[in-house]
Amino acid sequence: MSLDLALSTLLSPIVLFFVLGLIAALLRSQMTVPEAFAKGLALYLMMAIGLKGGVEMSKAVLGPDFIFLALIALILSFGLPFLAYLALRLTSGMDRINAAATAGHYGSISIVTYVAATQALQLAGISTSGYMVAIAAVMEVPAIMSALMLARKGLKEKGAIGEGAIGSERGELVREVMLNASVVVLVGALLIGWITGEAGMEKISPFFVDPFQGVLCLFLLDMGLSAGRGLRQGWRDLNVGALGFGVYMPLISAMIACGFCYVLNISAGNAALLITLAASASYIAVPAAMRLALPQAQPSIYLTLSLGVTFPFNLTLGIPLYILLGQWITGL
Amino acid sequence: MFDKKRLELIIEKPAFKRACRILEGCGVTGYSALPCMAGFSLGESGNGRRWQRGTDISASGDMVLIISIMDVALIDAVTQKLEVLIGMHIGVLSVSDVQVIRKDKF
Repeated sequence: MSLDLALSTLLSPIVLFFVLGLIAALLRSQMTVPEAFAKGLALYLMMAIGLKGGVEMSKAVLGPDFIFLALIALILSFGLPFLAYLALRLTSGMDRINAAATAGHYGSISIVTYVAATQALQLAGISTSGYMVAIAAVMEVPAIMSALMLARKGLKEKGAIGEGAIGSERGELVREVMLNASVVVLVGALLIGWITGEAGMEKISPFFVDPFQGVLCLFLLDMGLSAGRGLRQGWRDLNVGALGFGVYMPLISAMIACGFCYVLNISAGNAALLITLAASASYIAVPAAMRLALPQAQPSIYLTLSLGVTFPFNLTLGIPLYILLGQWITGL
Repeated sequence: MFDKKRLELIIEKPAFKRACRILEGCGVTGYSALPCMAGFSLGESGNGRRWQRGTDISASGDMVLIISIMDVALIDAVTQKLEVLIGMHIGVLSVSDVQVIRKDKF
């Protein structure tokens, strides 16, 4: 069963298209997905995920289960960067500012990893709750605050406290962080799906449901190209400790989330998704926030790790493992 | 023809609004912004790095070129403030002498 699951995930079209993009970029192929088209694909995917989640939420009454899960998601997103920071400082010798910025990425989430996990769960016949999209949205932002708190000491050492956001710019920073593109689209589509329900979804399903898998393949081809390019350009900035962090940190986060799932006693599908969310690393919301609030940190370090190392690891090996962990923890 | 200063600032997209606010705050009469497609930088480590516009919807890795032509009297104040900005953010600032036909526009 576990080998079947791993194989079916690895050999799914979305993973294979990602691998194609990754290999093409590493081999310096000229293949590209046009920029505006790729941005459109990202918007489409987030809208589709949000709508689908919202419709599922409209079918059920949200009870204490959801509230506890949201609370745990908040704790994970806020707390994991502190652990990631410690791990980075101990194993890679990274300076405080870069370690803080990188750690922030590992508390936040990757929505594409989440989608890939839902597809793998669907393939394995394991059901999940629609409200998990809301849980994903909850986990986007708190990690950014943790990263900024962690960076304070490093900024003090450099005498650069307050350099990132001065005076009125703090308001701009808060607005950019809270209203970043991925959060707005995801939460907005979730609310629209919730309000319009099944009837509303029926009208737009030929656009948002039927072509979803194909669009996801196209998007992952582009993600593969981005990850490959990032890895090719940025690996020189990373030592073995940092590269290792990109693989072991998702596993540590997964184990911590696993513990919470056991305490909450949630379903296998939801557990697998929460574990995946905890193990994933952001490459949209957090990099944008870090460039605004912590410009002293090097994007080549945190983007190479989250997009070039952790994302491919999660997509290929991580997701089957997280699904198995979800099944195991709920079977205990 | 009248002597003016032409300022060119290549700056990362997340700092674009900050740069615009500095220009406007210093009293420049106008500027234009263009997206940068790709580039290369040797960097402090000596490891050359190529970059190109990404497909990330937050555009946090993109670069923007801002061009502004202004009165000679403004250039010192503008460059001083922009120097602080590019001290933190990824960017390149250059100034050149230009001549314009319509003096009142700048």
